[in-house]
Order: sequence, then structure tokens, then C-alpha cells
Amino acid sequence: MLLERLNDPHWTWLVYLEMFTAGVAGGAYVAATLLELSGRGRSPAARTAHLIAFPLMAVAGLLLIFDLNRPGRFWHMIVQAERYLPMLKPWSPMSLGSWLLLLFSGVAFVSFVDALIARRLFHLGGWRYDRTLHGGPLGIAWSVFGAVLAFGVGIYSAVLMTTSTFPGWSHLSIVPAVYVATALITGVAAVVLVQAIRGQLDADTLGLDRANLWLIGWWLVLVVVFLLTLMGRRDASIYLDDRSLTAILAGTVLAGILPLILHAIRPVGLTSRLAVSSVLVLIGGFLLRYGIVMGPQLH
Amino acid sequence: MAQAMGFMTDTTLCIGCKACEVACKEWNQLPATGGGANTLSGDSYDNTVRLDGENWRHVRFVEQFDVFDPHRNGGRWLLMSDVCKHCVQAGCLEVCPTGAIIRTEFDTVVIQSDVCNGCRYCIAACPFDVIGINQANNTAMKCTLCYDRLQGGLTPACAQACPTASIQFGPLHDLQARGRKRVEQLHASGESRAYLYGVEGDGYTDQIGGLNAFFLLVDPPETYRLPSRPTLPSRSTVPDWLAGWGSALVAGVVGLLAFRQRRMASVDAGREIPRPEIPSRPETPARPAATPARPPTPAAPPPAAPAPARREYTPTGDQDEA
Repeated sequence: MLLERLNDPHWTWLVYLEMFTAGVAGGAYVAATLLELSGRGRSPAARTAHLIAFPLMAVAGLLLIFDLNRPGRFWHMIVQAERYLPMLKPWSPMSLGSWLLLLFSGVAFVSFVDALIARRLFHLGGWRYDRTLHGGPLGIAWSVFGAVLAFGVGIYSAVLMTTSTFPGWSHLSIVPAVYVATALITGVAAVVLVQAIRGQLDADTLGLDRANLWLIGWWLVLVVVFLLTLMGRRDASIYLDDRSLTAILAGTVLAGILPLILHAIRPVGLTSRLAVSSVLVLIGGFLLRYGIVMGPQLH
Repeated sequence: MAQAMGFMTDTTLCIGCKACEVACKEWNQLPATGGGANTLSGDSYDNTVRLDGENWRHVRFVEQFDVFDPHRNGGRWLLMSDVCKHCVQAGCLEVCPTGAIIRTEFDTVVIQSDVCNGCRYCIAACPFDVIGINQANNTAMKCTLCYDRLQGGLTPACAQACPTASIQFGPLHDLQARGRKRVEQLHASGESRAYLYGVEGDGYTDQIGGLNAFFLLVDPPETYRLPSRPTLPSRSTVPDWLAGWGSALVAGVVGLLAFRQRRMASVDAGREIPRPEIPSRPETPARPAATPARPPTPAAPPPAAPAPARREYTPTGDQDEA
């Protein structure tokens, strides 16, 4: 039996905001990888995804640093404080996660620069708009490597919670599965939203949007399993706090059910539909993360 | 390495004087209130309430009275001086991402506050709810088993101050032998419920290899707010990562297949594939020919096939925004 906790880690708004932004960044990068693997690495949608991913990762990194009680020591996660050697404990989700964040940020940065060069904002030597990384064989390898890191970023923050001994998080293995799926649907939604705002609803964007409906279906399955798992646990009452349960249920409806209904009944035009659907997915994904992170701590 | 040292806390001897709490705060220069006002918990004589960054010893008062009996006949007080357990396999040490938490030469677990950056993962990982943030230096802190005193050959402050020898300090093997003897003594005197919590093979703490600060209890662990099955974070690390990667794999394959299918359906329906985002090459002056131009071939080229009419791309795959 787990103790009812008196000391909680105070993982509050900075943490769930970081989980959300890092998840969107990772999901957007995976969306770009799907395009790359389909021979569309140079498409506007792929470039948009790369332009989204890195800035969001930068924001996520800053949020994590400011969440530390001693932000000036953030580098202790990567470098040993006394010996200045690399600090890596692969069995510690936070240590591994710090490295995943660092590596993914680096990969996303290169893709970000590549997208800027593709839009002819500048060039670096032979790295020119007509000879970009993405769209070629090296781009595929780079994208796949980045997508693996992006998935890792999406998973680690959940493993952080489920490996704790905190009632409501502990040994809830379904949460990492839900988290990575949330990252993917919100990332794809962000790309589609930006494309809709830019008025670039091309076949790639439409394809991404339709693919996201399938992904939302997978996500809904996982959320249902999560809720059923909770019902079978003795510490389920932790999530019955008004705010967290409301957030989880509202997130499920907003990100999972409404977008499917919206695409089925088509009450508005395509651009509006895609934009509204994407915004709903983003809000729903955020609420779900809020509910899971805060539920046990509000208890 | 010096031999493993530890505490044995015999709850049957504790009188709740809190001398251990005071001695701990005095030696370790911990604030009395954490910078805030004194507050009364309303929970028996316990206003310390918990172990955290400022309270490294905590005397727990468990009142067992029949509230409907006005004379309180047959009531019991259970008193226990709680402390960091210095687990043989410590969850906090396992997960600390900065290496701030170390195991000392005395087999105790210490947080180096000059290395800790306050990520607070150790707080969530500790199965005993021991660690908290110290408001004075903004890092995670807990009992060090008076590491500085041990290095000087001294007894920890709490054990030194305990007037009833409820807190005993010494080499772990000696303490365990002493504890077993004490349990036998209590059993012989009629207290058959006495047992040791935190020694190897106790049936409670086996998953973390036992405790270097163990307890002699007479009620189930939960009565003292001790977990009956403390576990290590690493126990679920692999299944949790696998669950995440499994979901990622399914989502990746579903996403890729669905994207290709929907996109091709869109293209097959007659919509043009938008061109990649490569702007047209800017006009550059023609380079001088390095070799003489090839003379024109006499044979006329075959007539070119008429180019298909360029269809304007419309994004309305669903005919709802035409």
C-alpha cells in the first residue's frame, strides 16, 4: 500500500505547460517525419512542422529550467557538478529525459534552420534553399532519428510520474502510452492549424488532418483504457477531485470526440473546420495533461 | 569503506518528549518554523506533522481511543520518532538526475545541497514521504544521519539526546542483533505483536533490501504511516517505457499509413500535388560555354505530346468549400 502523501513534488503549471509544449513540438516533428517518409520532405506542411518544433522545444526547456528551485544549476542535469564529466543515469527517467530534451532540441534546431533556408531567409555556405537537408536521403535519416528522440521526449515525462511512489501515478503504465499519443495528436493539430491560418490547405495538410483522425481514434482507446484502469485501482479516488476529473473528461471530449463529430457532420467550411478541430485537440490535450499531473497533487 | 551504520528506533520506549527533534534542529541549524508562523495542527501533541526539508526527525503521536467512551478506558498512545530510513536500495538516490544524492562510506544516504538543483524528483520517488524542500537554501533536504558527526566519530544528535534509548545508533549488524533480542524479550513479557520493520526478511521492505534506520513496532506499519510494501522506482521503469514505445509505434504506423492513404486518395481524385517549397531559381547570367555548341541535328524532333491541361488545385476534398 502506498502512503497518502504529505510532501508533494509541486509539479504545477510550469511542469504541465512544459509537458504540453514539448509534446506539441515532438508531435509536430513526427508529423514532418511522416511527410518525409512519404516523399514530401520539402512540402510547405513539413517546413511548417519544423518551424514549429524547435521554438516550442526552446520554450519547454526554459519552462523546465524555471521550474527548478535552483535554476542556475540546471546544467547539473547534463554535466557533473564537481568533475565536469557527462551526467547520465539511463535508469533515471529524469536524467534520460534531460538528454532526450537536449538531443531533440539540437536535431529540431537543425531542421528549423533548414526550413528557414528553404524559405530563403538566409543561407549558410553551401546550405542553400535548393539544397536543403530535408527532402533527400540524409533528410529521411535525420527525420527518423529526430522522430525517435521526439517520441522519447513524449514518453519520458509520463514515465517520470509513473515510476514515482506517488499514489495516483505509481505503476500506471498506461499513462506513458496516453502521453505519447497526446503529443502526436496535438503536434499534428498544431501543424494543421498553422497551415489553415496561412491558407495553405494542400493535399499534404489534408492528409495530415485525416491521419490525425485515426490517431485520435487510437488516443481515445488509450484514454478509455486509462479511465478503466483507474476504476480498478484503490487510489482512483485521487482523480475524483473536482478539477482534475473535470479536466480529464473535458479533455477527452474536446480532443477526442468533438473533432470526430466535426469531421462527420461538417457544419462549417473546410478551413474553419480544420482550424476549429485543431484548436479543440490542442485544448483537450492540454486539459488531459493538467488533470493527470494535478489530480494526485490536488488530492 | 567503514561498516554500515544505522538507527534502531524502538517505539515501545518512546515517550514523545521530542528531544530528538530539538537536538536535530539544533545540530543541523534547521529553522523551527520554516520561516512561517507556528501553527497548531490539532492532531494530538504533534505540530511538526511531517518529515520534510526542515524537519528531519518527527515524533509521531498515534492516539487510539474509543471516542464514545467518556473515560477513555483502554486507550493507547503509540509514539514513534520517525526519520529518513537510509534505505539499502534508495529510490531517491536511484532517480536523482544530478548525482546530488550519494551513498556515504557509512552506507547512509546523503543529499549534497551544493549539487542539488531542486528538481524535486526525489520527493516523488521516496516511498516514505521523507524528503522536502528546505526554504532556506531551496534544495531538497533530509536527515543525513549526522554525516558530519559520524566523520568525527560522534553519535548522531538525536540518538545522543534520546533519554530512553528509544533511538539507538551503531553498526547495523549489532543493531539488528540487539533488535531481535529486544523482540524476543517483548514476546516473553507478553507483547506478542512486537516485530522489526526494515530488517532483511521482514516481509515488508524486502523490495528495497531493508532499511539502515529500522523500527521496532507493535502495530501494522500503516498505523505509523509506514508503507507495507515500499518499492523502488526502477521496478516499473521498463514496463512504463515499453508501454510508451508500444503506443508510439502503433501511432507512428497508423499515422503513416493513414496519411499516405488519404493523401493518395486526394491526389487520385484529381487534385494537383502542390509543388515543394523550393522557390524558382533566380535568373543568373549565362555562363560562357566551355565547349563549342553542338551543331543542330538535321532530323526534326518528333512532335511533342500536348501537355495535359493544368488543373487548378482546390483544397476542397469534400466539396464543402468550393
